[in-house]
This record gives sequence, C-alpha cells and structure tokens, in this order.
Amino acid sequence: MSELRKDPISGRWVIIATERSKRPDDFRPARGVGEAPASAGFCPFCRGNEGKTPPEVFALRDDGTPADSPGWRVRVVPNKFPALNRGTQASLHTRGGIFEWMEGVGVHEVIIENPEHGQELADLPVGHVRDILGVFAQRIKTIEEELHYQYVQVFKNKGKEAGASLSHPHTQIVATPIVPKRIEEEIYGARRLFRSFKKCVFCRIIREERESGERVVHLNRHFVVIAPYASRFPFEVTIFPLRHSPFFADLNEEELGSLALTLKTTLIKLKETLSDPAYNLVLHKSPNPVLARKRWPDIDRHYHWHFEIFPILTKVAGFEWGTGYYINPVPPETAAGFLRKK
Amino acid sequence: MKKILVVEDEKTLCLLYAEELGKEGYAVTAAYDADAALAELKKKSFDLIITDIRMPGKNGVELIAQIMGLRKDIPIIINSAYQSYKEDFMTWAADAYVVKSSSLDELKTKIKELIGR
Repeated sequence: MSELRKDPISGRWVIIATERSKRPDDFRPARGVGEAPASAGFCPFCRGNEGKTPPEVFALRDDGTPADSPGWRVRVVPNKFPALNRGTQASLHTRGGIFEWMEGVGVHEVIIENPEHGQELADLPVGHVRDILGVFAQRIKTIEEELHYQYVQVFKNKGKEAGASLSHPHTQIVATPIVPKRIEEEIYGARRLFRSFKKCVFCRIIREERESGERVVHLNRHFVVIAPYASRFPFEVTIFPLRHSPFFADLNEEELGSLALTLKTTLIKLKETLSDPAYNLVLHKSPNPVLARKRWPDIDRHYHWHFEIFPILTKVAGFEWGTGYYINPVPPETAAGFLRKK
Repeated sequence: MKKILVVEDEKTLCLLYAEELGKEGYAVTAAYDADAALAELKKKSFDLIITDIRMPGKNGVELIAQIMGLRKDIPIIINSAYQSYKEDFMTWAADAYVVKSSSLDELKTKIKELIGR
C-alpha cells in the first residue's frame, strides 16, 4: 500500500511507495526498462491479448462481442499494478507533529485508444478520436460519482522521452483523494482575477489572443489552439473551448466532434513541424463538481477547462528545478507561426 | 509435483527459494539469467515462472516479452526489489508483481493462487 505525504512548506503531495526498494543500485537506469519497445514481439494492449489485462471496466466494441475479447475500438482497463488502490474514503492523518499523510487511495485506469499497435492519436480517423474523447468524459463522470475522489487527471505520455513505457497508444486516468497543487494554483489564480475582471480570466485570454492573432495556431467554431503567452516549453500549446465551462464532461455531441477535429489537427501540426515528437497531453478541468462547488462556490464562473500539450524538446534541468523559472528558447509567437503554416 | 522456474541472478536467493518452495511441495529449477531461463523453457515444461527484473544480460521485462512469444499460458510472477517497474506496462504480461521483502509469505500466497499446491 502506498501513502500520500504532504510537504508541510510547499503543500505539495507526493505518492510514496511504502514497499521500499532493498538496495540503492536498484535505482540505476536499467537497459531496456522504461523504453517503449517498438518490436518486443508482445504487447498486452494489442488485439488478442485481452486476457493479459485486468477485466475491462468499459469498452466501445462491436455488437455481440463479449467483454475482454477482440471486437473493441476503445478499451478501458484498471491498471494491473497500480500506484494507488481503490478504497474507501481516505483520511488525513498526522504523525504527531507537522507531518501529514493520507492512505494511497485512488483509481488508476488505462484507456487503450485502439487495437492497432502503430496507430497514434494523430493517425486515427476523426470519428475514432471523438470516440476516445467521449470515453474520457464517460470515465470522468463515472469516477466522480464516488465522492472521495476529488480530482480525476487524464493524461497521455507519447514516446519514451515523455515517459511512455509502451508504444501502443494509450491514455491514463488517475483519480486522487486530493486536488493536485497545480490545479489548486490555477483555481486560486482564476478566482483572484475573476474578482478583478468580473469575468473568467481564461475567456479574457481567449478574447485577447483572438484579437491579436499572433499566438493563435488554429481556430474553429468551438475551439481555439494557442501557444501560451508565457509558454514554459518550445511549441507548448493549449486547446481552449470557446464556450465557457469548467467541466470537460459537459461537452455536447457537436463540441465533442469539433474537439476531435481540433485535437487531431493540432497533433498533426506538431508531428509535421517537429518530426513526430514525444509529447505529454494533460487535461485541466474542475475538480469533482459536487466537492468543487462546496469549496469554491463560484467555480462555475471562474474556471475554464483546457488541454495542455507539451512536445518534449528540452530537458528540465538545475535552473528550472532550483528557481521554478523556465528558459524557453522558442518564443510562442514564433512557434505559433510555424504551426499555423502546417 | 508442480514445477517452478526461478530466474534470479542472486545465487543465494535461488537456493533460498528452492529450499522454501521445496518445503511447500514445489520442484524448483533455477536459472541465473534470461538466456539460461529460455534454454530451460525449451528443454522442459514448467507450471510457473518467477523472474527478477534487474539481471545481467537481458532484463526480466525483455525475458517476459520473449516468453510470450514461446508460451503465453505459463503464469509469471515478477519478483523485484524495485516496485517502480510497475510503471512499465510490459509488466502486465506477468500475472503478479511481488516486491521482494524479508518474508516469502506474499510470494507463496501468489504461487498458490496461480497454480495451487
């Protein structure tokens, strides 16, 4: 069983594996481990290997095909060896002093995006991307029914430099009993600026970016893709919905289709501009709506969900770790210019 | 008698597993690296494989991928001191992941769950 420990100064939570490693040399990088095997000869996510995953919790599959057999288009399975385990409500404990901890309770699921090993999100038909995004919404809604999960994080690591251990396209979902610090910081910032502007700050950013256009990568009826003004990384992009909403799972059918097209377009632009880079994609959304509205009664008005995509082109090193500043060698205006042309 | 192949580069651990699992009624064959394990698998049949991950030569994850090419039906237990290999989804080809500890109870329980006594 793992536990969550809170750094008393920064308020940052860390998942600590309490089953400890035996020897320091276990932490040496192991050849082969952690790499995305392109031709390992076996992949537990491929069609026909359904028996090697835990039983599916959700799948889009052909009519009449039984669970955990071929015939699926998108398949969701719990993590076989999760960092956090499902459980009852996690409670905050102390060790008698200032150190706080919680049980490592959570949900860890893997969304296998398609049965083909080599077909990445950018390569799939728009309709299939829409199906995957619909599954994100379905899983978020289902997990948020359990109120002890305060936040549901959807993220994708594509390529070994982005942290993927397997090249078969997949997205992960981790639900935690606390709101992550990064999300809390965004909510606090958005609340503060909502009080100043009397309007959602994300909506204001979208308006100003559309007016200037210099950092806009793509725009359609429902979504805008921008290279953020203070991008931390080269070619970082954010996808914002034009309709204000803190809740990703509130997307209607038309918006879902439009998001699929927007996401695919963005990923193709990144792929063609940067020669198929590794990337991380993260969804930032409101915490569990029931809990969020209790804690931040005006969250419906001040928070605005979005996707962030970070191509892995540089490494976070000592200066960034030490200061929290990032050095970005590509101005977002330049990045947006290149991406617009593709 | 159920036959278990233990793949582990620490020879003392192999001896300990042979002794402890032998007491439980299992026949244990030890292989000190992945190539030796693959050679054993081609010679004999086994009911279960227990493998370490960090070994000289091929690591345990590479070994598992190769075993899947030969025999998908043999249950596999990963037995590593390092639990972060769980982040590697190739480990899903195994049926259980037991972090090495000072007690063999969890390992014995998993073996019983997978193949009985």
